[in-house]
Amino acid sequence: MSADAILEVADAVKDFDGLRAVDGASFHVERGSITALIGPNGAGKTTMFDLLSGFARLNTGTIRFAGRSIGGMAPHRIARLGLVRTFQLTRVLAGMSVMDNMLLAAPSQPGEHLPSLILGPRRARAAEARSRADAQALLETFGLRDKARDYAGALSGGQRKLLEIARALMTQPSLVLLDEPMAGVNPTLGRAILDHIAALREQRGTTFLFVEHDMDVVMSRADRVIVMAQGRVISAGTPAQVRADPAVVEAYLGSASPETTA
Amino acid sequence: MSIDFWINVGVLAGIYGIFTLGLQLNAGFTGLLNFGQAGFMAIGAYTVGILVVDRGWSLWLALPAGIVLAVLAGLFVGIASLRLRSDHFAIATIAFAEIVRYTLQNAAFSGGNQGVLGFDAEWRAVSDWMLPWLATIGLGAYTQLPLFIVVWLAFVALLLMMKGLQATPWGRVLRGIREDEDATAALGKDVFAYKLQSLALAAALAAVAGFFVALNVTYLYPTVFDPTFTFFGYALLVLGGFASYGGVALGSVLFWTLLEGTRLIETSLSAGQQASLRFIIVGVFLLLISRLRPQGLLGNVNEMRVRP
Ligand SMILES: Nc1ncnc2c1ncn2[C@@H]1O[C@H](COP(=O)(O)OP(=O)(O)OP(=O)(O)O)[C@@H](O)[C@H]1O
Ligand SMILES: [Mg+2]
Repeated sequence: MSADAILEVADAVKDFDGLRAVDGASFHVERGSITALIGPNGAGKTTMFDLLSGFARLNTGTIRFAGRSIGGMAPHRIARLGLVRTFQLTRVLAGMSVMDNMLLAAPSQPGEHLPSLILGPRRARAAEARSRADAQALLETFGLRDKARDYAGALSGGQRKLLEIARALMTQPSLVLLDEPMAGVNPTLGRAILDHIAALREQRGTTFLFVEHDMDVVMSRADRVIVMAQGRVISAGTPAQVRADPAVVEAYLGSASPETTA
Repeated sequence: MSIDFWINVGVLAGIYGIFTLGLQLNAGFTGLLNFGQAGFMAIGAYTVGILVVDRGWSLWLALPAGIVLAVLAGLFVGIASLRLRSDHFAIATIAFAEIVRYTLQNAAFSGGNQGVLGFDAEWRAVSDWMLPWLATIGLGAYTQLPLFIVVWLAFVALLLMMKGLQATPWGRVLRGIREDEDATAALGKDVFAYKLQSLALAAALAAVAGFFVALNVTYLYPTVFDPTFTFFGYALLVLGGFASYGGVALGSVLFWTLLEGTRLIETSLSAGQQASLRFIIVGVFLLLISRLRPQGLLGNVNEMRVRP
């Protein structure tokens, strides 16, 4: 497809005993873009994220990330390639401190491997100190600095969401999949998250693909929008193009039109 | 008599402390329900016994060989069953410990129910060297004191090692897996490899405990390694607390003091009834602890959950 696509999905199919959750979906995500994935409830958005991140296996079809095929690859390998996801139902590590949640996400920590831990404890400590500084900065951005020592299980729902996003960013990803990042977060904080995402895209060229039901957010923040309905991609383009697409309006009929779901 | 009795309780507490460090690593810090620890202990002990008696190995070389074999068994069990759901893994480990016991009971190489005898001469020599030395400080009369000292030195050293290891980034990955293995995998961690390491390390600790069991009982027979001993380990985890290595030491001392100390209670019961009474007393104590302090004496209430 497009020459600068970081992610290309072709004819993806995923069945759950009889139910076809993803039904031949094809789309691409441009490198360095902020792309929204929208669609009515049950359209297959979360299942698509599961496929992209290795938590579900394709029945047929292909997924290419940064030029290599990742269909069928284990989740941790995909994450190490730089494709990181958050979960629609937040998954913080409740019995660990907020800081430990962050440090766990640090990429290439030699202290995580017994041989390099035993042979080079000093290198492990140095890496740990660097990670700690990075984590501090991210927690600051997400308004969680004062919570660093608290157990993640003691955070409110919105704070957990923030921690999960901060933790995903801690892995220094090139593509981040965010499944409804604004759900349950107060609007002020939600805007702060979006600002931070925009800033990261500017500074590091990080690509974002996010699922969002709030159409104001989608229309104002996304460069491109991909629309799924009943397991297929029915439209893709700029917010203006997608909004004008009759197929999109039709898919939302019966629930609500995309303009009014906000 | 009474001091010898308590020295022996101390030996048991130390040995099962080492044994349970492995369970703490698995259940308390990785969220893995390993119910086969007694099987790994048996493999360690029998490897030592058989290599010394049948192959003429030195006891001191047989120990690392026993650890290596237990680790290999741990890797084998792990590779075969760690990809299963967590409850299936737990069942597979019980099955493993049963297979080990049946094999030892029936195989020729392990002496069947007669067991293995006569592997501890080199330990006796060390013990006999220590006793006169202990006599100079007035403790020469206690023949099990050398074993007590060596077991507790090993236990404390291993406990500190495990505590240190848990505080590293490696230990943090294990805790991440305990909390939520999918979320941990989503951050790029190879969950299977870490579970395997956790299990192998626990097997190594079980083998060390098995070595000391061998020295303590002086001859090996299958019932010494009954799979139910794994549940002694879990009982003392409940007492001492999950996700705390200090809790293992406290729990082990408390558990064996209760279980053995209740032998001293004077009753008019038959021997069989008295034996049951001891377990009832321990059981009541466990119930009280889990009711009044569910995280155990030194456990951390925020980290106690073994999640599916
Ligand atoms: N593990 C599963 N087993 C069986 N069916 C599933 C499973 N996961 C999802 N489904 C079904 O697949 C379809 C797509 O679900 P999915 O969660 O991907 O939708 P979604 O677009 O994320 O919806 P929402 O906006 O409500 O989050 C739904 O009909 C759902 O019930
Ligand atoms: Mg969803």
